[in-house]
Amino acid sequence: MKRLWYFIREAYTSLRTHRTSTLIGVITTAFTLTSFGIFLLLYHNVHNLLGQVQHTIQIIVYPKNDIESGKLHDLQQGLKTDPAVDSLTFISKQDALTEFKEQFPEEVYLLEGLGESPFPASLILTMAAKSPTTDMIGNLVNRLQHHPDIDRVRYNRDWIERLTLIIAYMEFGALLVGSILALASVTIIAITVQLAFHTRQQEIEILRLIGATSLFISIPYLIEGAILGAAGGGMALGFLRGGFELFTQNTQGLNVFGGFSSALEFFPLPLSLILIAGGILLGCLGTVTTIYGSLRFRL
Amino acid sequence: MIQLFHVTKYYDGCLALSDISLRIEKGECVLLTGPSGAGKTTLLKLIFGAEHPDEGQILVQNRNIARLGGSDVPYHRRTMGYVLQDFKLLPQRTVSENVALPLIIRGLSSFESRRKVLEALRAVGMDHKLSSIASVLSAGEQQRVCIARAIVNSPIILLADEPTGNLDPQLTTEIAALFKAINTRGTTVMMATHNRQVVEQLNGRILRLDCGHLVSDQGVYT
Repeated sequence: MKRLWYFIREAYTSLRTHRTSTLIGVITTAFTLTSFGIFLLLYHNVHNLLGQVQHTIQIIVYPKNDIESGKLHDLQQGLKTDPAVDSLTFISKQDALTEFKEQFPEEVYLLEGLGESPFPASLILTMAAKSPTTDMIGNLVNRLQHHPDIDRVRYNRDWIERLTLIIAYMEFGALLVGSILALASVTIIAITVQLAFHTRQQEIEILRLIGATSLFISIPYLIEGAILGAAGGGMALGFLRGGFELFTQNTQGLNVFGGFSSALEFFPLPLSLILIAGGILLGCLGTVTTIYGSLRFRL
Repeated sequence: MIQLFHVTKYYDGCLALSDISLRIEKGECVLLTGPSGAGKTTLLKLIFGAEHPDEGQILVQNRNIARLGGSDVPYHRRTMGYVLQDFKLLPQRTVSENVALPLIIRGLSSFESRRKVLEALRAVGMDHKLSSIASVLSAGEQQRVCIARAIVNSPIILLADEPTGNLDPQLTTEIAALFKAINTRGTTVMMATHNRQVVEQLNGRILRLDCGHLVSDQGVYT
């Protein structure tokens, strides 16, 4: 307990002593995390939006005309349990005929004298919002196309692939931008901690003299880095929330994004906490980089 | 307690200690004397684990210091106290905070820590300055606090490198008396000093070094 108190007090003293560098460290971390957060927020909303759009994508499966009712039932059960499938609607030959009559009442005369419905029965599948990747849908379609009881499968392949490609690009972009900004943030925090480290060389020397381990010497600096990162993360979250509110208020009613602005949402709580945790992680990484180089012995 | 076998140390190719062999028994008071650059500080640093010998072996409490890994050194240091000429106190901390530092490192409870700090400060006559900031103390007082910090862990060995170097004759007498008292209680004291007054007052075993060679010892271990 006394040790913990010592560590916290040392970290606090260092932060208070180096107010200017602490402030610079927090602001720059906040800036980098805000930049990353903007990208993440954009990615989060586009991903949500694409999920919603993809949810409306349908795959139409036409079973063979002479399929037995038992096999049709098995086929439906198999599709319902597929993780890529959200819902399944069966349209019988008769339902298809009724639908045609309702939609095209003036063309009904074309069907006179045909007796049985000329339309094939079909199964309409809608995709699960969270799992519509090209691979999953492609695999599903491939399996369906080779199914002995299925005549043909219809779906808009280009549309799905294009959406998935956009998501893949955004994921890559997020990774790239995130890595660059994270590196910048780690460097800035490392410099801030290094400053504190150098001004406290005498204290470190004393600690080593009386038998402090490298870990004992390092812990206050790790706490300092974590506090810097957490403060930067918290500040970034505040900037992002403020900016988001301002953006949605100004764009609401203008219909500049085809009504999408009303569907925009801020990070859910877990993602917000991840952003702060990311700040803490960056802070600790920055500290470890500094300490590892300066102490010249393992932690 | 402490044994050196043919210890040699170089700094950037320059000889600092040459083929030193000696044995120091528990409770001895050993005074390292000799001119500047004789190797007194190097010898203390080797025993303390701050330096590694280039040749030879050093046994401290049957532990071979020459083979200590980096992570073992702090634990070795906790078994001994080290007093330096330039005090090495945290200037903005109180006397009790400075003295308590080795106990925090060892993870002692607050109660135990307070008791030991008070005991150590009483031993050096500084218990009335418990809450004073270290930087406002006089040189003699600062050195007393350093000694308190060095003995707070009840070390078996107390090393001191010119502890009276910055003090006037009156304070030197007081500090030397403290070391004498600590030694009387059974702690092995090994002190590097130029000061004849201290040597006479402590009346211990005198090891004389010159240019890295041990030139005189009342009981050279072979």
